[in-house]
Amino acid sequence: MAFTATLEVKNEVAFVTITGELDASVAPQFRTQIEAAAAQHVKRLVLRMDDLSYMASAGLRSLVFAKQKMGSGVDIFMVAVQEPVAETIKMTGFDNSVIMVPSYDEANPPSA
Amino acid sequence: MQALTIPANLDALEPIGQYVLEAATQAGLERKAAYRLRLAVDEIVTNIIVHGYNEVGLEGDVVMRADLNADALTIIVEDTAQPFDPRVRPDPANLDRPLEERDIGGLGVFLAIKGVDEFDYEYANGYNRNSFVMHRPAQG
Repeated sequence: MAFTATLEVKNEVAFVTITGELDASVAPQFRTQIEAAAAQHVKRLVLRMDDLSYMASAGLRSLVFAKQKMGSGVDIFMVAVQEPVAETIKMTGFDNSVIMVPSYDEANPPSA
Repeated sequence: MQALTIPANLDALEPIGQYVLEAATQAGLERKAAYRLRLAVDEIVTNIIVHGYNEVGLEGDVVMRADLNADALTIIVEDTAQPFDPRVRPDPANLDRPLEERDIGGLGVFLAIKGVDEFDYEYANGYNRNSFVMHRPAQG
């Protein structure tokens, strides 16, 4: 699957950019970045998703993994989620657990 | 479309996804319907690969077929793993609970069955047979 996951940590915020298609075969790559972010004790996880065109339930499971690794106090933001991916998140009730925003300005971040 | 026979490991997910999307294009499905169909098949096939084969140390093939008629596209997935009917899994409970309380078992099957117009399962002649039906848009 054409999939990439890259991590940047700035000011205790983890920015993970995921692109392409996220299914069970590539979800471990996503989890690797989440583990790397958790190891840095970040206070917030921001997922940049504008180039993610597909997400299976393996992606949702990775969100549960993120909360477990980072602690329930860490908010998860999802930025620029594409429509079919957002539909999956809502259909499964995961929109109650993440904050979906159209954009994320690092200089002026949204509050949780 | 020709049937696609592919060994049951996670590398199969990409070619299977392409197969379903090609069938959806031939059927004239709208983008959202094609996405839901592709997701549904992905979820069931992932379960087949992981639980039907890999976890129990079995090897085998998954066979994909596409059946197109005037009204509908049917994707059929056959495998030789242990009998498993996805429909007997209950819907995941606690859809509105916080992430740490979520019971994540059954999510894939939930998405699969909810996403297609009709879903069917049967076990016959040593094969699990999962069928996914999407109605075609009215031809103009």
